Amino acid sequence: MQFELNYRPSHSLATAHLEPGETLRAEASAMVSMTRNLEVHTSFRGRPGAGFMQSLKRGFLGGESFFTNTFTAVSGKGHVSLAPKLCGDMVVHELTSSHELFIQGSGYVAAPDSVELDTRWQGFKGFLSGESLFFLRALGQGPVLINALGALETIDLDGELILDTGHLVAFTTGLEYEITKASAGWIDSFLSGEGFVLRIWGRGRLYVQSRNPAEYGKTLGHKLPARQQ
Amino acid sequence: MKYEIEGSPDYGLLRVTLEAPGEQVVAESGAMVAMDSQVEIQTSARGGFLSAAKRKILGGESIFQNTFIAKAAGQNVWLAPAPEGDLRAIELARGETFFLQSGAYVAHLGADLKLDTKWAGVKGFFSGVGLFLLKVEGPGTVFFGGYGALHPVAVGPEGYTADTGHIVAFSAGLDYSLRSFGGMKGLFLSGEGLIADFGGHGTIYLQTRDPRLLADFLHPFRPVSSSD
Amino acid sequence: MQHKIEHGPAFAWLRVQLAAGDSIRAEAGAMVMRTPDVQMETHLNAGYRPGIFRVIWAFFVALLRKLLGGETMFLNDFSTTGANGEVVLAPSLAGSIVHKRLQPGQRLFVQAGGYLASTGSLDTKVRFGGLRTLLGGEGLVLLECSGEGDLFVNSYGGITPIDVRGALTVDTGHIVAFDGTLDFKVGSVGGMKSLFLSGEGLVCRFFGQGTVYIQSRNVASLASWISPLLPG
Repeated sequence: MQFELNYRPSHSLATAHLEPGETLRAEASAMVSMTRNLEVHTSFRGRPGAGFMQSLKRGFLGGESFFTNTFTAVSGKGHVSLAPKLCGDMVVHELTSSHELFIQGSGYVAAPDSVELDTRWQGFKGFLSGESLFFLRALGQGPVLINALGALETIDLDGELILDTGHLVAFTTGLEYEITKASAGWIDSFLSGEGFVLRIWGRGRLYVQSRNPAEYGKTLGHKLPARQQ
Repeated sequence: MKYEIEGSPDYGLLRVTLEAPGEQVVAESGAMVAMDSQVEIQTSARGGFLSAAKRKILGGESIFQNTFIAKAAGQNVWLAPAPEGDLRAIELARGETFFLQSGAYVAHLGADLKLDTKWAGVKGFFSGVGLFLLKVEGPGTVFFGGYGALHPVAVGPEGYTADTGHIVAFSAGLDYSLRSFGGMKGLFLSGEGLIADFGGHGTIYLQTRDPRLLADFLHPFRPVSSSD
Repeated sequence: MQHKIEHGPAFAWLRVQLAAGDSIRAEAGAMVMRTPDVQMETHLNAGYRPGIFRVIWAFFVALLRKLLGGETMFLNDFSTTGANGEVVLAPSLAGSIVHKRLQPGQRLFVQAGGYLASTGSLDTKVRFGGLRTLLGGEGLVLLECSGEGDLFVNSYGGITPIDVRGALTVDTGHIVAFDGTLDFKVGSVGGMKSLFLSGEGLVCRFFGQGTVYIQSRNVASLASWISPLLPG
């Protein structure tokens, strides 16, 4: 399987070239186009502990869809082109058995079956800001396609960093984190617009996006016609 | 008359230079970014479009076009599409046809270029009220934009399949059939989750982002109307 | 202080290296990341000289700026507690960042949403472009920037500088900034009929010599374009 990335960084398109028999799993909303010789199956990935409609609603608002498409090249080689929902870059992270990758929900696009996705990982709970950040845990080996809102900065950290939570796309094991106030004072932290931030330290890789989806959504959303509840 | 597209592929911006008085460019209403001062704007409802009233009722679609006419030499008009994305020019020979999603139309040059909206494109091809397929016929140059980059795909004997949310335009010589697609993309969106299987010989222009997904992303951020 | 605009022109962010004594002021919510020794102080967005009695006044000015201009009510000052530190700042929308160094005597008008960050002793005053601007969403609320320092301006879409040769007409939603040497007047494209039919909303006519910085996208057009696809 080879990933070809075009139109980086702002309108990136990822094309997965599949050899006969190869399979790729992708977020259902990511399919742009494909050769006609691919077999496609759809499955629903439920959120454990939540009801069906609840899962759908939460998943929808949280930015990740619960439907997954599996593409298999049957007769000969084929390709499927994928794109995330918002403008921005995509990158392939080569996952190996030496580490795991934690991906913010809407940051995941696709991966082959050799990568296992665990949706039960409960990091970053207890956000007062109301931004429910949902993380997927990826383990195994193979290429993992992740996306960003805006440009993607790859940081191989050996030290410490303070990061606005909305700008985090993914990070590997080897890094520790804690949620902390943006500023020394509570009032300042709230008024500064930063709210809570992440303190990340250790040795590992993190992927940062140059735009914050919540800020982007608010800035554009406020100018749209009102909705009924 | 000459044109230049800058900012491609991130945010395409079209600059048309009307070199002599009387030269003109027609653009979708709302597309103007800037213009030199010796340019006159004429607004009209295009004949051939669905009646203005009908279109307004369908909602959302701009029903007027602006014609920019130079009153002096060397007048620039800058035009841009609405979404974040690229802008392309297609130059059509006399009689050459091109099919364009109505929302992607930005502008055109050439008084003889025909924009036909009565052409019966398949209903439901594009989700979203008031969106339909424009049949463009040369001679002339038509400018169109999309959400994301504009990715051309040459369709050959093996055919090709594309999600309808990503189809912006395609050349003559292609036929297609629609079917719903697994993944229930349409479940949450304002349209159906349809894909098109293309056959024949020609080029499809895909936009690398689907506007319906942007609409769904933005929906929770909209102001809530107070019920009175 | 050193700065670098990265990931431009599509999704630019501003990386700033701070040495001891350096400080940069940014709109609320702009911080992407910083090194641990950088500290942040929050101030009301109401000018540079709030004295004891002016705090309440400053609060109202800041509130007004937010309600009318869509600016943030608060600004954050970043400085380093150690020998050096780094902070990365980004605007909310997709687009570019441009740096302007202002000298004493120079003026630059920036459309309210275009302010990202500044250093030095820059003064910013709120100006309204024309009576009509308070109607509807197409108002022109400007920040008149003067003084000495660095100014970082952001856009929706790409930024194109256009040198005005006598006169230039620009759709108000596409203005990022313009030189203070230009005269400007806000109005409709041409007569009442045009205002409602042409879809162009309000335009700003510039006269004289100077540069206008335009952005290639505008939020009002994006809203119109996406509206048919929004659920009820």
